[in-house]
Amino acid sequence: MNKTLNRRDFIKTTSATTIGVATVASGITLTTFASTNKVPVTNEKRWGMLIDTNKLTEAGIDGMVSACQEEQGWGSELHSTGSQKPGWIKKLKVKDKATGKVSNLALMCQHCEEPPCVDVCPTNASMKREDGIVLVDKHLCIGCRYCMMACPYDARSFVHEALRNQKEHMPRGKGTVESCTMCVHKVDKGEVPACVASVNSDAVIFGDLYDASSKINQTLRTVQSAQIRADLNLNTGVRYSGI
Amino acid sequence: MNRLLIVFLTLLVSSVFAHTNLGEQASSIKASGKVFHESISIIRKIHPEFLRHKRDKTLRQGVRTDEYSLKGCVSCHVNKDKTNNQYYSVDKKGQFCSDCHEQVSVSLDCFSCHRTIPKEGSL
Ligand code: SF4
Ligand code: SF4
Repeated sequence: MNKTLNRRDFIKTTSATTIGVATVASGITLTTFASTNKVPVTNEKRWGMLIDTNKLTEAGIDGMVSACQEEQGWGSELHSTGSQKPGWIKKLKVKDKATGKVSNLALMCQHCEEPPCVDVCPTNASMKREDGIVLVDKHLCIGCRYCMMACPYDARSFVHEALRNQKEHMPRGKGTVESCTMCVHKVDKGEVPACVASVNSDAVIFGDLYDASSKINQTLRTVQSAQIRADLNLNTGVRYSGI
Repeated sequence: MNRLLIVFLTLLVSSVFAHTNLGEQASSIKASGKVFHESISIIRKIHPEFLRHKRDKTLRQGVRTDEYSLKGCVSCHVNKDKTNNQYYSVDKKGQFCSDCHEQVSVSLDCFSCHRTIPKEGSL
């Protein structure tokens, strides 16, 4: 899952910024963990993740990748060649050109608030839930792959071969596009995403960005964090500290 | 002529359902006399509508109830191969879904993405 930065320049263009914190801080406070299963999700929450690149080791990132594969059932495609293989979450090395500092990033769909993948989708298959989780509605996806081209993070994959024995909670099929779902099937049950659960430290925090009492909100208020390619103003749900 | 057509259609429909392979759990519910689907004719005719409605609510709004869930259909209408204790896929020839769908030549697209047997570990 190693990936080099040849196609798009991932070098962070802003220095560590407090903009993310300001946006988060203005959110609505929610105190209870309502059982959301029976009622539609609302925009009173915004799910997000904070990845501490100093604490998260390379092995930790590898663990996240395997946890994702195991949970969602991707990665054992038999006929797809190298670049056709799905990659919902990747390990990425970024180098600060000035200092030469190398950081390892776990990169998945950033669950943008203004997602370009949704803007370009001709069928409304690419969609954002009210709570900020960006998904592909495979019932509507025609496999045109516009969204793959539009995504600045190269976060989406196209399924190139017929599949069987998918996970019950994660339908996947040939001719449709897929990407990190933030383990929406678990989040809707009040659980955390599989990759977050695989990390045995607070190197990766998952939670409601708007909830002032949540760990992620509080951490984002106190540490410097950044969005990758913050210059694009997509207001990503996945944030990084230590880069 | 019309009467003939009706006779023909009735024969056709009843012959489609005549040998329907209900699946293990569904058969035992039926045998026990319990009612699961309030109206069999409605579920036969408009199950695609139910599923479509449900899929939008689940995927787009996060509503995850059991009602009209495809997982539920699969786990109730699936059959097991007694010789090796493995499930048959519901879209396999002769199994619950394909039984009717093949007969009436209506293609079945759910299972190019959805799992065709109950979830792992439920055997
Ligand atoms: S990271 Fe890419 S796939 Fe994810 S929401 Fe943003 S544009 Fe869409
Ligand atoms: S590949 Fe599917 S989700 Fe992506 S833009 Fe095309 S129709 Fe939309």
